[in-house]
Amino acid sequence: MAGDDLSADGGTAADRADSVGVPLGLPRWVAAAVPLVLLALVVAWFLVAPPLGGVQSGEPLPDVSVSHATLPDDGSVVLHVVNNGPDSVTVSQVLVDEAYWQHAVTSGGEEVRTLSPGQSAEIRIPYHWQPGWDLEVAIVLADGTTVHHDVVAPQPTPGMTAGTLGTLAVVGLFVGVIPVALGMLWFPFMRSMSDRRLHAVLAFSAGVLAFLGFDAGFEAFEVAESVPGAYEGQLLVVLGVLGAMLVVQSVTARTDEGGRSALAVAYAVAVGIGLHNLAEGLAIGSAFALGRASLGAFLVVGFMIHNVTEGPAVVAPVAGDDRPPLRHFVAIGAIAGAPVILGGWIGGFAYSPTLGAFFLAVGVGAIAQVVWEIAGMVRDRGGRVGSPTNALAFLGGLVVMYATDLLVML
Amino acid sequence: MTDVDYGDAARLTSALEDRLTAAIAGDGVSRRTVLGGLGVAGSAALGLSGPGAAGGGHDEDGHGNFGAKGEYDDRSFDPHEYLRTFNTGHEGRDGVNEGVYEENGRTVRHFTLTAVDTTIEIAPGVEFEAWSFDGQVPGPTLRVVEGDLIRVTFRNRSRHAHTIHPHVKNVDPGMDGTPQTGPGVLDTDEAFTYEWEAQPAGVHFYHCHSLPLKEHLHRGLYGAIVVDPDPDRVRENPREYVSGHHPVSDEYAAELVDRAKTRNHEYPENDRYDELVMVMNGFDTNFDGENEVYAANTRAFAYGVGSTDGNGEWEEGETKRPIQIDGEGRQRVYLINATEFDPINSFHTHSQFFDYYDHGTTLEPTHGTVDTVMQCQAQRGVIDLDYGDHEPGLYMFHAHQSEFAELGWMSFFEVV
Repeated sequence: MAGDDLSADGGTAADRADSVGVPLGLPRWVAAAVPLVLLALVVAWFLVAPPLGGVQSGEPLPDVSVSHATLPDDGSVVLHVVNNGPDSVTVSQVLVDEAYWQHAVTSGGEEVRTLSPGQSAEIRIPYHWQPGWDLEVAIVLADGTTVHHDVVAPQPTPGMTAGTLGTLAVVGLFVGVIPVALGMLWFPFMRSMSDRRLHAVLAFSAGVLAFLGFDAGFEAFEVAESVPGAYEGQLLVVLGVLGAMLVVQSVTARTDEGGRSALAVAYAVAVGIGLHNLAEGLAIGSAFALGRASLGAFLVVGFMIHNVTEGPAVVAPVAGDDRPPLRHFVAIGAIAGAPVILGGWIGGFAYSPTLGAFFLAVGVGAIAQVVWEIAGMVRDRGGRVGSPTNALAFLGGLVVMYATDLLVML
Repeated sequence: MTDVDYGDAARLTSALEDRLTAAIAGDGVSRRTVLGGLGVAGSAALGLSGPGAAGGGHDEDGHGNFGAKGEYDDRSFDPHEYLRTFNTGHEGRDGVNEGVYEENGRTVRHFTLTAVDTTIEIAPGVEFEAWSFDGQVPGPTLRVVEGDLIRVTFRNRSRHAHTIHPHVKNVDPGMDGTPQTGPGVLDTDEAFTYEWEAQPAGVHFYHCHSLPLKEHLHRGLYGAIVVDPDPDRVRENPREYVSGHHPVSDEYAAELVDRAKTRNHEYPENDRYDELVMVMNGFDTNFDGENEVYAANTRAFAYGVGSTDGNGEWEEGETKRPIQIDGEGRQRVYLINATEFDPINSFHTHSQFFDYYDHGTTLEPTHGTVDTVMQCQAQRGVIDLDYGDHEPGLYMFHAHQSEFAELGWMSFFEVV
């Protein structure tokens, strides 16, 4: 803190070290350390002689979660499990559709039976499953506890090869990069607009972003359901949303010094949309990883139309000023669109609901901050955020997103 | 949905057939499927070592192999030993017998049973907190002769209150072992001596009758009582040992007496029979009212093979092995259904038919030449088997609810 400009938060910059004395004349660092030292002593005392005898009763319940299942071929089922509980658990048997089945439990390449707290493992079951026929798998722990997992309409999960890598890149290109680039081509037209209309465009893009935020937010909470209990999926989403919001805010606030730069806002919008698209790519990649990728041409077209509105959103902030150098457009477009490819790769290679929920949440946080930023921008340019035109334009953004979302969902 | 694709339809049919094969694993599909049923060949093929897995790894089955993985660790109960252990007062399990003595001109067989809470292993690595008679599930098999007095000193060392209710014809309400009669439930450290007359001949059942009944039974408080028919009584009253009302000729009566001798452990005629006790039971490990384990005599797949290469070469496991029987002799199975939560269980033999005596109270079969019988909860019967004309080898038998079979009630006879 000492080096920072303390006036930035509007506080009073007064050094109180001289005026207010530390008790007993201790040096300042000692005063800071005393509570920590005492805490350490209390914790140590508690650990040495736990006074819990009268309080503790019963044992914690075993808590194992199956984060997901992969099906590398039609003769194997692989369950990805995590021991969330505070105690070790032993995987004694495995049931497939209510029949005992052979299996091997491996963690980090080693065959294991007992998982320590927090340890994750793969359970490989040689089972000849039928595509499209639901599988009910259950793990039987040593004490007879069962952990059930349904594999709904199983389909083979393709292994991640250079080929799938390329496919995901192409999908990302069509779903993310091209639509954003196309949308940015509205830039010259937007420059010819009056301020009032430009504000409407900005409000429209805020509507687009807001809708994406809700979309990703619901998705994040849904994915969080399958996050292993110990990671507190719901709270992880909250942390992701607020964290991203505050980080993006602090970054833009720093670059904004001495007045809000339109270009900075454009970059911020690009980051927000980029994070959203990263999550979108993640969804596509994990669909691949889970054998759920049925990306028909229509679906890709749906995504393209859906995402093309992101183009004007990223360039709208700079439409009213002098045209920035072209390299900024390339950079803004790349930041907004390319993360689809990256997300696809991450989702395909390292699918995990925890990562998925967190990325989605980060996207929501970034979007929320950007919407706030756009409102500030309209205000700075002398506009009124709540004017009828802007309100309707915002609503237009929401409606267009809802409508184009149907193209993806149907 | 879409147009009919006959190629798809054919593939679906074939896949369904495969699925059915895998699901029932061994109902006369092929020798390979039968023998591949229980082993760890699938894991061997995938390079995953399991205890006792046969090497080679040349199983091309591709359907994986079902069956519980691994062997049993707890050696305090051996289902193989349980099969042929009868407590007669003269012999049997240590500690159960107080002995046999005469009293008022009648044979008294005195047993001591103690209720204890214990942990039993019901599938490899799966422990179940059981309530048991003498620390074993099922409890010790009591074997007496028709007309004897069965005297059971019952001590309760369990944390819960228990009783013993006998499934015999009992004329004294005080000895019925229900909470409302006689001593009622016995609390921890209480004791009581029950006395029951051994009648009628047959295979019977004893169990705790405390409430909640379902839990006290499911936790393991049950066992078998075998009442051997008395040939002298059969000679005097042959009509009591046949069903129906047809006349009993002198020749038929003599035959009934001979049959009674084969059922009575005190007669040498009984030695021709290899007698086995099988109590069909199940265990709900996660309290959802459904069993996660089914078995004959508590342990899932205990009478299965230890490992197989899926091509007919199999090995015994340390704790999982078939029931070896002599093809020259005959087998008699005293079968009891103690399964909770499911109303019925069943017993099915492969490649073999048998005579069945419902409750074992008659000396003529109630079902002749059947390969599957069904028993309601607490129903029991005697199965008479003869593998004399069979080739040596493995013959499967199991519950013919395929769900029960795949959850552990699947076994083999090995005819030698």
